[in-house]
Amino acid sequence: MSKSKSSFTLSKITGSSLFFPFVALALILLFDLIAVPGFFRISTREGNLYGNLIDIVRNASTVSLLAIGMTLVIATGGVDLSVGAVMAIAASVAAILMNPYVLATELPPHILKFMSDPNFTYQPLWVVILVTLIVATICGLWNGLLVAYGKIQPMVATLILMYAGRGIAQLITNGVRIQIFYEPYAFIGQGWIILPFSLYIVAIVFVIAWLLTRKTAIGMFIESVGTNSRSSFFSGINEKRIKLLAYTFCGLCAGIAGLVASSNIKTSDAFNLGVTKELDAILAVVIGGTLMSGGRFSLLASIVGAWVIQAITTSMYAVGVPAFALQAIKGVVVIFVILLYSEQVRGFVQRITAQKEA
Amino acid sequence: MRPPVDCDDTLGQTVRGSMMSDNDYIVEMKGIDKAFPGVQALSKVDFFLKRGEIHAIVGENGAGKSTLIKVLTGVEKQDTGRITLDGKEITVKSPLHAQELGISTVYQEINLCPNLSVAENILIGREPRRLGSVNWKAMNAQAKEFLLQRLNIDIDVTQKLGSYPVAIQQMAAIARALEISSARILILDEPTSSLDVHETAQLFQVMRKLKSEGVAIIFITHFIDQVYEISDRITVLRNGSLVGTFETVGIPRLELIAKMIGRSLTELDEMSKIKLESGKHIRGEALLQAEGLGLTGAIEPFDLALHAGEVLGIAGLLGSGRTEIAQVLFGVEKPDSGTLEIDEKEVKRFSPLASIGRGVALCPEDRKEAGIVDDLTVRENIILALQANRGWFRYLSMQQQHEIADRYIELLNIATPSADQPVKNLSGGNQQKVILARWLATNPQILILDEPTRGIDVGAKAEIQKLVLSLAEEGKACVFISSELEEVLRTSHRIMVLRDREKVTEFSGEVDEQEIMQAIAGSES
Amino acid sequence: MMRKIGTLVSNFQRFIPLTATAVLVSVAYGVGAILYPGMRDPQVFLNIFRNNSYYLISAIGMTFVILTGGIDLSVSGVMALTTVAAAALLREGWNAWLVILLMLVMGMALGAVMGSFIAYLKVQPFIATLAGMWFARGMCFFISDDAIAISNNRIYTILGQTRILIPGLSDPVAQVGDFVSISAVVGMLLLVVAIYIAQYTRFGRTMYAIGGNEGRNEISAQLMGLPVNTTKVLVYTFSGFCSALAGVALSIFVLSGHGLYANGFELDAIAAVVIGGTMLTGGEGYVFGTLFGVLVLGITQTLIQFNGSLSSWWTRIVIAALLLMFIGVQSFLAARKGRRRRAKEAGAPSAATRRRRLLAFGGSGAVVLVIVALIVVNVIQNSAGDGSDVGIPTTTSACELQPYRRDMAAEFVEDGAVVVYERNGGPHCIDELYAIYPDGRIVGDDGVNTVEKQITPEEVDTLLAGIIGYRWFTDEMYDTWHTPCGQCYGYYLTVSYDGQEKTVKGVDGGTDAPADYWQIISLVKGIVPKFTAAP
Repeated sequence: MSKSKSSFTLSKITGSSLFFPFVALALILLFDLIAVPGFFRISTREGNLYGNLIDIVRNASTVSLLAIGMTLVIATGGVDLSVGAVMAIAASVAAILMNPYVLATELPPHILKFMSDPNFTYQPLWVVILVTLIVATICGLWNGLLVAYGKIQPMVATLILMYAGRGIAQLITNGVRIQIFYEPYAFIGQGWIILPFSLYIVAIVFVIAWLLTRKTAIGMFIESVGTNSRSSFFSGINEKRIKLLAYTFCGLCAGIAGLVASSNIKTSDAFNLGVTKELDAILAVVIGGTLMSGGRFSLLASIVGAWVIQAITTSMYAVGVPAFALQAIKGVVVIFVILLYSEQVRGFVQRITAQKEA
Repeated sequence: MRPPVDCDDTLGQTVRGSMMSDNDYIVEMKGIDKAFPGVQALSKVDFFLKRGEIHAIVGENGAGKSTLIKVLTGVEKQDTGRITLDGKEITVKSPLHAQELGISTVYQEINLCPNLSVAENILIGREPRRLGSVNWKAMNAQAKEFLLQRLNIDIDVTQKLGSYPVAIQQMAAIARALEISSARILILDEPTSSLDVHETAQLFQVMRKLKSEGVAIIFITHFIDQVYEISDRITVLRNGSLVGTFETVGIPRLELIAKMIGRSLTELDEMSKIKLESGKHIRGEALLQAEGLGLTGAIEPFDLALHAGEVLGIAGLLGSGRTEIAQVLFGVEKPDSGTLEIDEKEVKRFSPLASIGRGVALCPEDRKEAGIVDDLTVRENIILALQANRGWFRYLSMQQQHEIADRYIELLNIATPSADQPVKNLSGGNQQKVILARWLATNPQILILDEPTRGIDVGAKAEIQKLVLSLAEEGKACVFISSELEEVLRTSHRIMVLRDREKVTEFSGEVDEQEIMQAIAGSES
Repeated sequence: MMRKIGTLVSNFQRFIPLTATAVLVSVAYGVGAILYPGMRDPQVFLNIFRNNSYYLISAIGMTFVILTGGIDLSVSGVMALTTVAAAALLREGWNAWLVILLMLVMGMALGAVMGSFIAYLKVQPFIATLAGMWFARGMCFFISDDAIAISNNRIYTILGQTRILIPGLSDPVAQVGDFVSISAVVGMLLLVVAIYIAQYTRFGRTMYAIGGNEGRNEISAQLMGLPVNTTKVLVYTFSGFCSALAGVALSIFVLSGHGLYANGFELDAIAAVVIGGTMLTGGEGYVFGTLFGVLVLGITQTLIQFNGSLSSWWTRIVIAALLLMFIGVQSFLAARKGRRRRAKEAGAPSAATRRRRLLAFGGSGAVVLVIVALIVVNVIQNSAGDGSDVGIPTTTSACELQPYRRDMAAEFVEDGAVVVYERNGGPHCIDELYAIYPDGRIVGDDGVNTVEKQITPEEVDTLLAGIIGYRWFTDEMYDTWHTPCGQCYGYYLTVSYDGQEKTVKGVDGGTDAPADYWQIISLVKGIVPKFTAAP
């Protein structure tokens, strides 16, 4: 009696979508536990928590935000390569709204003083954020229209914005890398309320996404479209609108990520902001168990995937691996993860645990 | 009316264990069994192919035609049984191996590369070369010559294959098949589905020419007219078993159809007496009215009226337009002629979602491609269409979903450990029931069922037929499409007969199977 | 008549994308020649080949991969790795030819590994080559964090500096005239070889057979008995070879190696291939078209350069718009073909689909027209203003970097300056040095001109207070350095105050500099006077 009950739980655990990413995370943390003494120490300062673990989730917040949006897109069977570029566009829009004087060639001296004043912003913060998010959403909408209505391959369609996006971001600021002095803006990425503020942002976006997908029929429709679009069509699901929604939401998430990232470095760096972040986001989603061909997805697992990636980075730093070696290791990890996630291995593990039941 | 004739004697002589000497046969398949999870695709099938003959294989869905060919060409391996080629027993290891043995197949999807030229498609992998580089001139000349000599086709072989109509593409595929292994056996899988009359005639000319050169051709088709036009012998399969192999000249059309879809003729009289009289609650007004509704290339314009409380059966062979009618009525395809009225309102928007909103439901024929979403659970599959109709935001609560799912699991006796089982783990028959449940859950007033009992065991079939009739009793209108005549007869109040994508006639009330089969068979009987 | 044209068009339909690109190239160059007399010099046209030889080489490799329906994202990583590894080996004194050979072998090996993963382990090309890129770039930094210069290498100098004179446009005796570099010649040779392989070898034809038709061709090819897996591995090996060769060409061009080179380059390669008429789904397209794709980019850059007032990021936007138009055309043609086939099987297509396709095509065409019109208008306005020839630029990327003037900076500090600010690099390779004195005097020197400005002593105090407020004299302000990218500047800032003196250096593009460093630089930049030329 009790034996069958425990094996039922075992296969239920291994079958759950969160299983593999958590195992991966656990392995890395285990490595840390052994290799780095004091890794898990959490200290408090002025009521806020600090420590390596906090660092991991904080530095992962950009990729976490991207991964939330990317999960929906990948679940419909597509991909969005332009999220890094959209981040740059968002950062440029925000910076120019706070400080359009930067574009002028000649400035009267009293304005000059204003610009570096930490309390100065041309537009109030809520306008800055609102306009930025609207612009980012439009970018996502553009991608969605190309993919869903223009019937262009997702990789190709988003490649265009990825390519042009940085050009557009530079266009907005006329090539100037705008420094952001406005303090409240910096709080987005650097602020701390017991826990880093960006964590709260991630949590809020996650909750919104979760409500949107699991408390409405949208999540089920996305999974249906990603698994079998013809059957979904026969069942009356409007594939085009679902895909449009997914890409639009992904653009919005990229905009939020752009705000967080640019507030972290207090710059709108159109050239470098978000570079290769889209690849990190895709990797996070893949580690989180969503298949690139589409279908079942789990937002939480994708965030855990983002943590895994960041944990690798932080652990390597903690161990003393120099920065340059990190990329090579990332490449190896990707291969490892991909092979691990291939149908064969997964099926193998599940068959073994299922056999134990029998 | 002719006296009932028993299949197993006189004219329709089977050749099993016959007096023919063995070296007339180039291929012998004896006692072939093949099972897939959940279904016995072939059981104890014998198949004998003579040299230089054109041999047709016919049968309805699930008969086992494609599985038999897959076994012969090495795509699948048989569970039991032997295959002999030219007197020697062989094991076909792969499609490439089959080609080397001289068995070539031209599939329905052509399986060539449309972006390459015709000549390349015929010769790629074995192109003539000069000093190591491809000799285009020689290749084009060789291909053109080959097509001309062996197939009597004269085309510009330098053009891309994809720019030619399907008929020519097929010729190229045949040419490659012959060229590669100087094939002695050519298998043509549904070659005429996309051809018009002229192209079919062209193909037949080619086939006759090849036959005269000693090539044995296996011709799989569902067009009975063509079977009679071109083939020497016919093998009939039904539900995985061999019904028999007959000389084409020796078996009348009606008898052939009877063997394909019906019982033996002796039982016909019995069947025609079984009728349920539930026709009393058929109301007057038409729920659905189609006038001149048609789609070019799919179904000729037809008229149809459907009343509340009645079951309309659609009978006809595979390819006669059954599925196409269903799809047009449900809005999967937009018709290009005629009008459709539902509830006396003309239909302007043709889409599945709009149809569901109007109370029309289609349980489609292709379970895998148009039916199940295999990664989702049974529960999700069942409520899918209902949810689509409610839109994104009126999400059924978990409790509601489970209620609905459990209700239909019980009603249709779906065998599943729980409602949260991914539907891909269920057997084919149970998957079919899940799809049926999905459409029942939308509470339609017009329910179109395209082969709803395919793959379902006998007991369950009867239950579903009873279910359809009880739906009619409740006041719904049903369209029941099936290739099994007996169940169409048993469940329908009226029967519409299709042939060659055209509505032939309608039978109301009492009709016996023979009349229907005559209508299906067409000109001669 | 119309029908004849129709049949002619459909017969040569496969050449439409290629023709479109060729027309585009000719028109673009023609427009440029009209607007800018300087562009009429044939050397300008030849310079496109000189400056983009590595681009052409890597794009050729990418063409092969895309023809099989795959993609190679590792191009930039392999290129960078090649530059770094080559530079490191040359620094150790290895023979240059040996190094080049070794690099090519390395590229082929990497390509073969990725190809095997794709062909045999069925990993998606996107992911496999992505991992390859990360791995390759990571390997760069294993070798060296900083850039490695290739100096005084005789063979490299010969390879880089030799001018191959074009017969008919030059005078070999006097050694003057229009010339092209060895790398450009190598690129064109590779093009010829690649065209031969693609059109005249079994391997090449198999390559075409595998790609396209949404993966169905691959299944057909297997059923037809073609060696699909072997071909795939070879294709990626070839792409690795091309990436490495491009890396060699790049290292000859810039005479250095660094892990940050060629960032995002694979996108440029893909753009060239697509604009050149090859479909991303594979199976269709000509290697020759890739040459035109590269030319489009090169001409765009040249036009923008000659214009002078359009910023360089317009290049990306224009290329993206062109990309969109070409992809739109590809989708349109593919849809037409699909509809024709389906029409044969199932009757006339629905009018709605046709309308939508037309809309998509028309829409993207309109977008492109608008952007092109904007640029043309802008260009005309500016050229009407300029009038004169703009000098012929010799290269598009690296100009001669000026040396830093640290000794002059030290002099300023001794002289009493509180803030000394030096900015070096950028697209025009400047070096600007400023000194701010406590009495409000600001002096600037860019090696050619000097400039002066007077502000109040209170403003100087405010500036200093701000700088100290950003924790200048603490450990939170530290040096960071990387080799600057083409557009980037390097900065030295010295603050001498209250007995303390600290110099912190930083460079654009590095994301590891302390955030407040850039705040301070921005403050200083805002105060100091500008020189009349560059912004």
